[in-house]
Amino acid sequence: MALRELKVCLLGDTGVGKSSIVWRFVEDSFDPNINPTIGASFMTKTVQYQNELHKFLIWDTAGQERFRALAPMYYRGSAAAIIVYDITKEETFSTLKNWVKELRQHGPPNIVVAIAGNKCDLIDVREVMERDAKDYADSIHAVFVETSAKNAININELFIEISRRIPSTDASPPPGSKGFKLRRQASEPKRSCC
Amino acid sequence: MALRGPAGSGPRSRGPLDEAVAAAVENEPPAVVATGAAPEEEEEEEGRGRGLLRWDGFSAWLHCVCVVGFDLELGQAVEVIYPQHSKLTDKEKTNICYLSFPDSNSGCLGDTQFCFRFRQSSGRRMSLHCLLDQFDRDLPVYLKKDPAYFYGYVYFRQVRDKTLKRGYFQKSLVLISKLPYTHFFHTVLKQIAPEYFEKNESYLEAACNDVDRWPAPVPGKTLHLPIMGVVMKFLLFLFKVRIPTCHDKPGTTQIGQLTQQADTHISVILPTVHEVDLFRCFCPVFLHSQMLWELVLLGEPLVVMAPSPSESSETVLALVSCISPLKYCSDFRPYFTIHDSEFKEYTTRTQAPPSVILGVTNPFFAKTLQHWPHIIRIGDLKPAGEIPKQVKVKKLKNLKTLDSKPGVYTSYKPYLNRDEEIVKQLQKGVQQKRPSEAQSVILRRYFLELTQSFIIPLERYVASLMPLQKSISPWKSPPQLRQFLPEEFMKTLEKTGPQLTSRIKGDWIGLYRHFLKSPNFDGWFRTRRKEMTQKLEALHLEALCKEDLLLWIQKHTEVETVDLVLKLKNKLVQADRERLPVKPDTVEELRTHIDAIILALPEDLQGILLKTGMT
Repeated sequence: MALRELKVCLLGDTGVGKSSIVWRFVEDSFDPNINPTIGASFMTKTVQYQNELHKFLIWDTAGQERFRALAPMYYRGSAAAIIVYDITKEETFSTLKNWVKELRQHGPPNIVVAIAGNKCDLIDVREVMERDAKDYADSIHAVFVETSAKNAININELFIEISRRIPSTDASPPPGSKGFKLRRQASEPKRSCC
Repeated sequence: MALRGPAGSGPRSRGPLDEAVAAAVENEPPAVVATGAAPEEEEEEEGRGRGLLRWDGFSAWLHCVCVVGFDLELGQAVEVIYPQHSKLTDKEKTNICYLSFPDSNSGCLGDTQFCFRFRQSSGRRMSLHCLLDQFDRDLPVYLKKDPAYFYGYVYFRQVRDKTLKRGYFQKSLVLISKLPYTHFFHTVLKQIAPEYFEKNESYLEAACNDVDRWPAPVPGKTLHLPIMGVVMKFLLFLFKVRIPTCHDKPGTTQIGQLTQQADTHISVILPTVHEVDLFRCFCPVFLHSQMLWELVLLGEPLVVMAPSPSESSETVLALVSCISPLKYCSDFRPYFTIHDSEFKEYTTRTQAPPSVILGVTNPFFAKTLQHWPHIIRIGDLKPAGEIPKQVKVKKLKNLKTLDSKPGVYTSYKPYLNRDEEIVKQLQKGVQQKRPSEAQSVILRRYFLELTQSFIIPLERYVASLMPLQKSISPWKSPPQLRQFLPEEFMKTLEKTGPQLTSRIKGDWIGLYRHFLKSPNFDGWFRTRRKEMTQKLEALHLEALCKEDLLLWIQKHTEVETVDLVLKLKNKLVQADRERLPVKPDTVEELRTHIDAIILALPEDLQGILLKTGMT
């Protein structure tokens, strides 16, 4: 079975649950008091997708301002970016839109963008409507799911959807999959990094 | 000791060093004001009775102490700098911020200690402790300060704290110093950092005040360095350290011990100020020790990829020290991150990798430094229990993935054959559960013998470049050293090569040829040449002293005599400034000569010449 390495990076505001999503996916565990990520952390997990093995090389970045300028190092050469927001905090959704803009301007062409509205278990204190987020995601052709790293909701699904959207090696993309639309030519020199 | 002498005593109380120090102090009024305790200072100064200003004692040891916290919105931020007047540029602060924290997989819960080294911003004024280099002179080369770099010694704590937002305490206490006394500062931090994290700023202030009262780091002296542990309980830590000198016999180590003397008085005796647990660091790549020695000796670009900053920094320091007593002359970074201001410079693919040793933890470097010729990958350092079974050097092309196996990745072919005896000896030690310290002593002695066998032929050849004593004439400028001719040196190897002192076989000639092109040779030879040139200057000065100068002036014109006086005065300045290795009475003798010559001149000239300062 063919093994493909897929670099994925997680972006989003501090405290939205980026590391928790990764931990749930890689270790299937949840720590309500996970320590704030310093810099970035790196993990891998291999899953089977159709007749391929997908090895996810996951770069989990810190959400603090100081690290924002360094994000390009992590998303450069990424096959996918998961932008996470917290459904109970409106401002984290605004940050998400800024990340989308940045990826559009500086990210690799054809990067699959996935939007994860995390903490969907906290429905009582919701500030971001699922409908609004879904509409926004559709408008930029991004994957969209609401997740709960705590209750293990939609975490595996998020990565399966990414696998599905990654253009397969045999040139013909599976029906219904569409890459992230970029408003620029994909002709600038590519330098793959990780 | 220029700084300690009571001001104004003796005929020449102010040497150039005193003046420079005085100038530096005079130029720094804010430094004194900023401490905000002027009356107290004077008292303290008197109390010390050695003419030191407040913070002079401190800066002989440390540049400053920083507390770096992890702000949930911003990221790392310098929260406290102590003493407050310490100068750090923004660039230096940014570097300290990133280097004081792990930069990836920050899962290391609990306390972590490591060290880093960073470049001093250019254009910084020379600070006081750089002027105190009379201490530096007597240090072995590998303990000398590097004016362009600072060390940072870190104690990082990451623990649960429910009272904080996000429930975590993430903070580093960092000592910034020019001194490469890694083991010493590591021990100091281990004592004060846990206390500090429990207490507050006043604890730090008290600790810094203690450091300010420490005696200067005079080589060869056993120093007693008390540091207040707990202010309230008067728990006193006393560090006993002996700083080695260049006259020490290399390779002598004592065994350290910790003794509890009285309730309030704990004494830590450090057997070394700078050495790392060599065997523990080399253990993961133990079979390649000799190859690594070659790579370090030759100044090859080397990167250590480790799981945490403590392992990366220990391993880099171990590598740098394995060619001791030779000084590793290129840059080395015990812990290097993608945030470092030299990141681009060192990782660029447009040039060949630089001659540096980097310690990194971020897996990102596996790709960034993929083009580097030699990569050491280590897993978690175990307490030197087992030796890895993998013997083979790994091929660089196998280092594709970010999670490759531990080992040495290189296509380098060592010049020398591996010494199987040392391998057997250490393996036996592991089987017999010999303590890691003892294994380290064996390994260190082995490296030392190897380095000495290598360097002795060079020392011998360079000594032969010295001109003969009889070619030194007082009336001509000192003779020049003969040129270093590689081929001439190679010829000496046949009879007096390393085979005289080492059992190791192999292509020694090839190793020398490669070494002669390396930065380490350059640095070593420059030092030697400087020493020898100074020796020539000193011999020349002594030759001048032996001349009957009064007889000479009788045969020469007044203009020539004045010229001679000025030249001699310059010689004296040079002897003082460069601390030429002259015999003690030579300088005084020459001074008497000068005075005698001046007195033999007409009175109007005498006045001018006596006043003429040394330029």
